[in-house]
Amino acid sequence: MSTPLLDIRNASRRFGGLLAVDDFSGFVRRGERVGLIGPNGAGKTTLFNLITGFTPLSSGTVRFDDAEVSHLKAYEIARLGVARTFQNLRVMPNLSVFDNVSIGALGALGHSPLTALLGRRKQADEISRRSWQAIERAGLQNQAGELAANLSYGKRKYLEIARALALSPRLLILDEPAAGLNDTETAALAQFIRKLSEEGLTLLLVEHDMAFVMSLCERVMVMASGRKIADGTPQEISRDPVVLEAYLGSAEEAA
Amino acid sequence: MRRALPTIIILLAVLVVLPAILSAVGGGYWFRVTTTIGVFTILTMSANLVSGTTGLLSLGHAGFYGIGAYTAALLATQLHWPFYLTLPAAGVVTAFFGIMLALPTMRLIGIYFAVATLGLGEIIHLTLLNWVGFTRGPMGISAIPGISLDGLFTASDIVNFYAVAIAALLTAFVLGRLAHSYYGNALRAVREDDQCAASMGLDVVRLKIQSFAFACFFAGLAGALWAHTTGYISPGDFRFSESILILAMIVVGGLGSLPGAVIGTIILLGLPEVLRPIGDYRMIVVGVVMFLSILFLPRGLLSETSVLHTLRRQFGLAWNNTKHVGWRL
Repeated sequence: MSTPLLDIRNASRRFGGLLAVDDFSGFVRRGERVGLIGPNGAGKTTLFNLITGFTPLSSGTVRFDDAEVSHLKAYEIARLGVARTFQNLRVMPNLSVFDNVSIGALGALGHSPLTALLGRRKQADEISRRSWQAIERAGLQNQAGELAANLSYGKRKYLEIARALALSPRLLILDEPAAGLNDTETAALAQFIRKLSEEGLTLLLVEHDMAFVMSLCERVMVMASGRKIADGTPQEISRDPVVLEAYLGSAEEAA
Repeated sequence: MRRALPTIIILLAVLVVLPAILSAVGGGYWFRVTTTIGVFTILTMSANLVSGTTGLLSLGHAGFYGIGAYTAALLATQLHWPFYLTLPAAGVVTAFFGIMLALPTMRLIGIYFAVATLGLGEIIHLTLLNWVGFTRGPMGISAIPGISLDGLFTASDIVNFYAVAIAALLTAFVLGRLAHSYYGNALRAVREDDQCAASMGLDVVRLKIQSFAFACFFAGLAGALWAHTTGYISPGDFRFSESILILAMIVVGGLGSLPGAVIGTIILLGLPEVLRPIGDYRMIVVGVVMFLSILFLPRGLLSETSVLHTLRRQFGLAWNNTKHVGWRL
């Protein structure tokens, strides 16, 4: 069996006195759909930030496609093929949907003022082709010219994913994709994400909606207080007593 | 080309119609006013690339304008370089200074960057003022040769007008190409959300430096044109208040819009001239126009982003970042 696409080994991140991620090891195989769950403050988003180079690791390593990426900058990791979406939607409100998506294609293909000055069509055509492809995959064709600020909340979610797709990623990291969506929208989103996975994209997602994770993911990692406390199929996870205590215990408190 | 017609109209308007009108209304004085407006359009269009498109609030643009002016003036008076060499040299030297001075500030975010550029502008102004041996200090540099070419044309108001007009058109062409391309989208992404831009594979620091370098190049060009067309420069021309004036022109015209930058310049420089008959009251009118335009057109005349939105982001960035205040690591 080949090495995993994403391989996290003993990753830790300390913020002052707080150990936000504590000796986390885990992996994502090529083509897999992996969920990351855990109570609020478990360190899930911090872990995403460590993988994508937003936050430097305090110790440990992250390997992507057999190359160490621990010390690379965020944009370098993105160019290797790791795209992400954000927990609090981060679309660019003053840009059109198309322009938003073109940022992803631009990041993948590189950007130089010279190509703009000389008016080179070749690269521009390629950016436009990739952007349209991503827009069509996300079903935003009819809103392409619209300002992102005018999109509904649900559509902005798709816009973020489309922008990530324009990067032509090999690993797509989704931070709470279903947050704030109603049941119908969540079901549609699950179907969309499943389709992306079937088209060959490897997925890692954080989500609070348990039904969403359990139905969508092939494997689930559970985090609590910065540590990984379980790793297995949704069936195994839902029967794991450690998980029930850590996860459902806090869910009751929240309720 | 689908844009051929507007381009031809603009070229005709600036190079044929405008000088014809200026000659008709009496020539000399109005040519000089238009030349000044032309130099400032180059300044505002270039500052707009940094502050409007890339979203880096620069408060030191007049300083770079000054570096260009002094470079051209010193090369022309000390080394007797002709204007067609001092002009590009001023641009290149200013861009070089821009990159050198900007490197340490490029990781600063939001309002911290703005304050750092304010400091840069002041450093440049004070250097011009106090390095008397090199810049002649407050006496300024006089007798800067005008724009002339042996056997073809000699310095005159009309030659100055055409030199500035052609330079402004070229600036508009280059900056338009940069801003209205996918490269421009990359710069806008830096303005809208630099972290998100980085997560999409954009090298944010490099983009900031590039846009700063381009802006400084054209500010230097504007400085050189100013030096050659007026024949006399002094540090007073490149004070902080000029930076603010440039910014005010961009804001009135609309942040991020190239035609907006031009229109803002025409309004804020043209209005005082048109209103000259009412004497000193005219500056009050200019102030009122600025005030009202911010009040009723917070997005400016033609903007793609509102001043308030940009400012809020700039200030917001400053107090969001608790660990390393003011820096993006």
